[in-house]
Parts: sequence; C-alpha cells; structure tokens
Amino acid sequence: MLPKGKMVPLALVGLGTAAIMVFVLVVVAMSWFSNPPFGLGNAPPQPIAFPHTVHAGAPEQGGLGIQCEFCHRNVTKGAAATVPAVEQCLFCHKTATGSPGTAQAAEIAKIREGITDGPPGSPPAVDWDKTNPINWERVHRLPDHVRFVHEAHVRFFTAGTTPETQLPVAQVCSKCHGDVASMTEVQPQARQSLKMGTCLDCHRQNSVPTDCTVCHQ
Amino acid sequence: MNLTRRNFLTWAGISAVGAVSCKIPFPEGELQIQSPVRLPEDLVKGQDNWYATLCRQCPAAEGVLVRVMEGRAKKVQGNPNYPVNLGKQSARCDAGLQALYHPHRLAGPMSRSGPKGAGQYQPVAWDQALNTLGSQLSDRGQGLVLITEPLRAHLGLIVSRFATAFGGRHLGFQTLDDTTYRGAAKSVFGQDVLPGFDIAHANYLISFGADFLSTWGSPTHFSRAYGEFRHGAGRTRRGTHVHVEPRFSMTAANADRWLPIAPGWEGHLALSLAYVIIAEGLQAPGVDVAGLTGGRGAASLEAFRPETVAPRIGLPEGLLVLPGKDAAEFIRQLARDFAANRPSLAIGGDSAGAHSNGQFNLEAIYALNYLVGSVGAPGGVVFNPASPLPDLPAAAKVGSLADWAGVAEDIRGGRSKLLLVHQADPVHGLPPSVGFREALGREDLFTVSFSSFMDETTALADLILPDRVYLEDWGSDIPEPGPGYYTLGFQQPVVNPLSDYDPRSFADLLLAAAQEQGKSANLPWPRLRDFLRESSDALFALNRGSIQAASADEFWTTLLRQGGWWDEKGTGPRPGAAPRDLLAGIAARAAAPSYFGAADGEFFLLPFAHNTLLDGQNAHLPWLQGAPDPITTITWQTWVEVNDHKVKELGLREGDVVRVESAAGVSILAPVYPNPALPPNVVGIPLGQGRRSGGEYAAGRAAPESANVLDLLEDRRVAVSGALAWAGARVRLTPTGQSIRISKFEGTSPAREIGLSPSEDIFKTVSSNGAAGGAR
Repeated sequence: MLPKGKMVPLALVGLGTAAIMVFVLVVVAMSWFSNPPFGLGNAPPQPIAFPHTVHAGAPEQGGLGIQCEFCHRNVTKGAAATVPAVEQCLFCHKTATGSPGTAQAAEIAKIREGITDGPPGSPPAVDWDKTNPINWERVHRLPDHVRFVHEAHVRFFTAGTTPETQLPVAQVCSKCHGDVASMTEVQPQARQSLKMGTCLDCHRQNSVPTDCTVCHQ
Repeated sequence: MNLTRRNFLTWAGISAVGAVSCKIPFPEGELQIQSPVRLPEDLVKGQDNWYATLCRQCPAAEGVLVRVMEGRAKKVQGNPNYPVNLGKQSARCDAGLQALYHPHRLAGPMSRSGPKGAGQYQPVAWDQALNTLGSQLSDRGQGLVLITEPLRAHLGLIVSRFATAFGGRHLGFQTLDDTTYRGAAKSVFGQDVLPGFDIAHANYLISFGADFLSTWGSPTHFSRAYGEFRHGAGRTRRGTHVHVEPRFSMTAANADRWLPIAPGWEGHLALSLAYVIIAEGLQAPGVDVAGLTGGRGAASLEAFRPETVAPRIGLPEGLLVLPGKDAAEFIRQLARDFAANRPSLAIGGDSAGAHSNGQFNLEAIYALNYLVGSVGAPGGVVFNPASPLPDLPAAAKVGSLADWAGVAEDIRGGRSKLLLVHQADPVHGLPPSVGFREALGREDLFTVSFSSFMDETTALADLILPDRVYLEDWGSDIPEPGPGYYTLGFQQPVVNPLSDYDPRSFADLLLAAAQEQGKSANLPWPRLRDFLRESSDALFALNRGSIQAASADEFWTTLLRQGGWWDEKGTGPRPGAAPRDLLAGIAARAAAPSYFGAADGEFFLLPFAHNTLLDGQNAHLPWLQGAPDPITTITWQTWVEVNDHKVKELGLREGDVVRVESAAGVSILAPVYPNPALPPNVVGIPLGQGRRSGGEYAAGRAAPESANVLDLLEDRRVAVSGALAWAGARVRLTPTGQSIRISKFEGTSPAREIGLSPSEDIFKTVSSNGAAGGAR
C-alpha cells in the first residue's frame, strides 16, 4: 500500500468519472435528439433543392410519377439504394432546363455545371471532365454496426405470397422513409426515426427473427 | 482537492461545455452521399434472362437464345444445343428484334374502308373483327384458300386441317419455290422429306447453282458444316469444292474453282461426268452400274460425251477456269477428281432447277451421288426421318406456279371466295402474268390477312388481323433439311407485345374459329400451346432422345429450356438400291433449256435471293437492308450486275440507271454495277427490293417504275414439277440517261499500298519474287 500522502484522493477519481459520464451522456443525447445521423430532425440543407414531388409525385398531382427504383437503381439489387449519377439526371435535364429566369432553372443549372453549350439550336454537349459530382447531405443513415440490405427488404415485401407482401416497390420504400413522393424536402418522419425500435417493431409485426446477429455483425 | 458539491458541479459543467464545444469527430463526408458524374456500367437495373426459341426470319427456322431484360428482348443469338445451327446464327436472326419493335407493325385489327388496293383501313375492335371472320367463314368458307409461309410441324398440321375442314386447301408460298428440288429428291432418292448433306465429312463437293452458303436450304447449317469441310479438327486434308453456276455468288466466291456454265446446262454437265466415271470404270466399289444404266453402261450416256457436251455448256475455253486444257479434257479431269476423292458429294438447286429442264438438271446432279457411293454414307447425302410424332408434317407443303395459277383461276371462276393469307406475299412474288393482283382485287373475293406488317397482298385485304411476331408466340418446327435424325424444335414466347400493339396469335384464331364454326373435330385444342404440351407429353412417353426427365412437367420445362427435343439415334430411313435404270431414264428425259423474254436479248437474266432480304420478306427491317451484299457490298437498293467490259461497251458507268426489258412493255429500272466476275452474257439482279407496299424501309425508295425483278418473269414453268422457271429469261439493257450513286461499302475509301512513297521508309519482309527480306 502506498503511503497516505501519495494516494490519489478518492474524491478526484469520483470527479473524473463523473465528468467522463456527463461528457458521454451529453454526446449521446445530442446525437439522439439532434439532426441526422441518428436523430429525428429537420431536413438538412441540400446542395440542390431537389423536389421529390416533381419527380416521383403522382401524375394527377402534377408529378412525373417516376418510379423510386429508376433513380435509386441499386435498391432492388444490393445493400445500398444508391443515389443516381449526374449522367442519369442529364438523361432528361440535358433538354429539360426549366423556364429561363426562374428559381427552378437556377437549380437545374447546378446539375449542368460544366456543360458546354454548342451553337444555338444544337443540343448541349456535356464535358464530363468538367462536370462535378453532387455531394448530397444524408437524411437517413444507419450506424456502422448495423447491417441493412435494401434488396432483402424490398424482396420481402414485393415477392411474397400474401397481399401484404406483394406491394409495389414505392409502397415498400414508404414503410421506412415515409411518402417521399410528397416531400419537397426529404426528412425523417414520425415513428420512422430508423432507430432500433423502428426496426424491431416491424420485424415483430412481420414475424421476422429479432436475433442480434440478424442486424448486427 | 476535495470533492465538494461546488467542485463536482464545476467539473460537470466544464465537461458538458467541452462536449458541446468540441465537434463530434465524424470523418469528412460521413454525412454526405455523392452522386458520381458518370453512370457506372454495372448500375443496370434488372437482370437478364435467356430464353430458347426459334427464329422465323427465314424458312430454315434456326434455334436461338434471346436475351430478355425487364420484359424486353435485347439480343438474339444461336442456340448451342439446337442441331440445325449449333450455336451459330445468320444475320437474319439478329434482326428479329427489329420485327418486334418495328414502328410499322400493324397495331390491331383493321377493316378496309376504301376501294380495294387503296390502302385505306380503319381500326376495329377484336370482337367485331372476329365476328366478320366468323360470318365470312360460314358464308364463303367452302373452297377457301389458306396461303401461308412454308409450314411444318404443329402449325403446318393446324392450317392443313383447318383448310380441309372447310373443304378448302392450304398452300405454302415460296417465291423461289423448291417444288422442283422436292420432285427431284423424290424421284432420285424416293424421299418425301428433303435430304440433308454431310458436307462436313465430304472430301470433294460439286455444287450446281445452289447458293448454299448464303440463302439456299439451311445456310447456317451448311456454312457450319463447310467450315468443318475446309479445316475441321481431325481432318487429314482440306475438302475441295467446285461450284457450277452462271453467276458469281457467295458460294462461288468460296469455292476452289468456279465454273460459269451457260444457264440451264447443269444437267448435261452432270451426265457428262457420269459418262466419264462409267466409261473409265471410276465408280465406287459395289455400285451397280448396269442397274443404273439399263445394262448398257456408258453407251446409255453416249450423247453426253465430254466432247459433245463441252461446246454447249459454254465453259470459257482457255480462260481462267481451264488453263492449258480444252473443255472436254477438263470435264474428264473433273470427273476423275470427283470419283477419286471419295467421299464426294454433288448437290444442286436454285437456278440449276429453275429452267424449263430444271427437274432433269437436278435429277442428273443428284444421281451422281449413286455412282460415287455417297447416298446414305458418311460425307454424302443423308436421309431425314419423318416426324417423331404421328401426323405432324415434317415436309413443308409448297405450291408450284401451276398451283398458284390454279388458285387465281378458282378466284376468277368464283369457286374460291375466301382467301386467308399468313406471312406470305404472293402478289409481290408471282410474275404479273399469273394475274394474282387482279384476282385479289375482285369484289366477290374476301381476303383476310394475318400479317404483322403491310405488304402487297395485305394491301389488297378486306380484313387485317395482325398476328403476334414469333418472339411473342408459341410454335414449333421440324427442320427441313434436318440434321439426319429426329428433331422437333419448340418456339416459346419470350416477351409480351408492347402495350401499343394488340396482336393475336394466328394459330389460336384459327383454332377458335374452327371451334365456333363447329369444325373442330380434328382441331380439339383451345390454343396452340395446349397442342404443344400434348406433343411434349407424347415425346415424354417415347422415353428416348435428348431429354431425361422424371415427370411430364419436368420434361416440358426442360424441353422449353433447351429449345426442342432431338434423338440422335433416331436416324432417317436406310437408303435402298438406286431406282432401276435411273441414269438411263434421266438421260432419256434430257432436254435443252428453253429461254423466254426478249428473243434478241443479249443477256441471260439471273435473279437471285438477296443475302439478307431473301425474296423481300425481310425488306422492312433496316438492319437487313443495311447489311451489305457479300459480293458487291451494296446496301439499301437493287442493282444490275453486268460484266465490266460489257458496261464499257454499252457506254455506261457504275450507277447509270438502265431499263431491263424482257418483253415489249415488260421492264424494270435499276442502276448498273460493273462486276468483273460475271460472264459477259449474264446479268444478275437480286430479289427483295422494289416492294410497292410495306412502309418506308421496304417500299418507296424505288424508281418511279418497278424495281422488282420478278416483274420481268413470265408464266413459264419447269417441266414435270410445274414450278416457276425463274432463271430462263433473256433481257435487253437500254440506258436511260439517268444516274444515281450506288450505296456500297466497297471502294468508298481509296486504299493505297504502304511503302510506295519515297518518304515511307519501310521494308517488306518478302520481296515480290518470293525471296525473304531486303527488297524495298
């Protein structure tokens, strides 16, 4: 035993422990309640004001009715749903440039950054070397210790044998992401925070295993 | 330091402020997701599926695999398992996709709304259209004529029974019909089903007229075998090929030696070869020469001594084909080579059988195979079995010109008042003098077309009920010529029709109509698919062949997956002895060809099936229009091949439009293409162009007058078979003074040999005199 004068005062140990605990608590609480990645919050500002209403909205409400998996091409094939490449945006926006002078046209022009226009009347040529990737802000993100495969979930709800498991892909998406087609800005919805509780609720409802290793590696 | 309440709160406050003020250390970009610039190639939505089915772009019906992604067919390629083509396919198969997605496809049923032939139609609902069909069948069905493409197997049986049930008849239409060839195969070999040829294992091949590497018979099947014939694994020597044809065709271009014979004299040359073989005793061991010649030996063929035949058949003596020898000696040497290099094989067809003496020609050619012991032997003529299932026709029923003249006569006489046409265009393909166009224009005839596209016959129809394209429909085929053993190919729908189209299956319409009219005693199946399934179960019960399955269901799925069923052990009939006095009989029927058309015409006209458009049935497909002709490299237009010296003599240049005239007032216009490989007295014109209806790709590009070479032909028939003698016309060429640019690949970019310019300091590895190295 060390001489009394050399011992770390018990009070100091307690104080340090308490400080660390408070630090961790605050970090966790902030993470939980604040904006993404882990929380339920407002839509983060995006580099381009992309309206899902215009693209994926129902035609009768003025949308184009594009299917989710047309742009999020990997959603029925792999783990990540993926965001579309700029080239894919330009499938249409090469010619769909919006009415000149409007805010809409200004937003569309951001995709077309680096596109060099040819002589009047010719379709715009695209200089791929000058075109920039778009860095979207994530709205939905699961922590690294969760293994989530979009394809398996879409398959479960589209290729089953009961009416509840033979849904169109768009309805499957909205189970977790809300009715994105009606959102001007995408943001997490109530009771769809994509926290573990959301996952477990759904797994239990559909009699899917809830073992730890089903989701956690 | 004591842990007082004050201290505790102080430190708790500091750590909370610290936690908030120092940012949570996420890696840069962790909260972002990036749209890449380029679409990665592997980010393709959907998965591809490959389905086995049959191609219907030519009568050979090759087995194909079709790549389908998201319900759309994307690629057609040969089925490696299918016995006819073993994984190879012709360019015609690839273009099946264009038929599927063609902008000019007839979308749904239509009924005529203007005068006949005016091309005015209005869409009608299927119910109404089928009511019309039903009432026409009950009013006029007696004596109906059902015209289709050459059909075998299930659809062949359905159409034939349907026509019979109504007291009518069914005829397959083929522009260059093979009835003469069928007649020759029947009289020489006694076979109803066309024989096959084991080209792959032959050592010596003489072909007369038949352009078997391009359009004749089953070209992909033959081309594949030809590759084996030339350099197959396990061969000790390369096969030798001699081609006899007045025109320089693709097959002639591939041959070791091409003999530009005078048109129509092929049979005389064949009998001359036979004479030499018999006279010199060169026949294969065991061949009963006495039986073939009525006991008279070479004397029975005395009239065909090479010395007699050589001057007639027009082989250019001393020219490129006969260096240093006279023509008679050349024929003798040819016969010796043919007899010595067994297994040897003689085949004939196309123009050789399309003269007034065509049947004699083909019989003489095929009889040669008996002399060299090649009938039913490896490397020779292979007999095909009939159908593996009873009733299924293994041979197509093809009408001859005599049959078509009869049909036209029946229509004019009011004996046939209802005409049903499916994927056949007799108005385009028959010579105008048969009068088919006028017959179809009669008001007392009701014509129903089941074509998927507008063509000249459909343009005269009263009712159009578009069929599904073959990639959307069920079907089957017994290949003819077959591979020499039982084969039954199955065709399954690989895609649904696009939503803009509302076609209905021809077979199913016939079955439903027969049901409705109470004529279904022999057609009990609700749909063609049910009939196919019934046959699949029957094949399963045979318990042999290419598919081993535990149950009928498993058999059916395997059958569709493989594209058909075949039994390599189920070979054709064993050849019997040659018919008695075969050669003597053929020699007795010998005749010189008789020509027609312009009596003072300087040129023999040789029409030929276009490499990809065939007789025009594929003229609506741009890929096939754009596929260059293998000899001239011309695309998208018709042309007249004329010897280049003759072109100069006539004061013409390439692209000058000439009037090709076979009789007064019977002419077509086409641009000249100088071809050094053509004999000076022959002109060649491809079929396929010059259609009057069928959308912008097939029609409308022609000169103001006809560009259809068939318009130059007359109602002249091959003796015995009654087929169209399409190779016997003589024509005049008259310049029109107009000129157009010929669209061709050849010569568009000038080629220049490297090393001709002093600045190009390069050295050839072999000098012009063959010595290695050095020479500049």
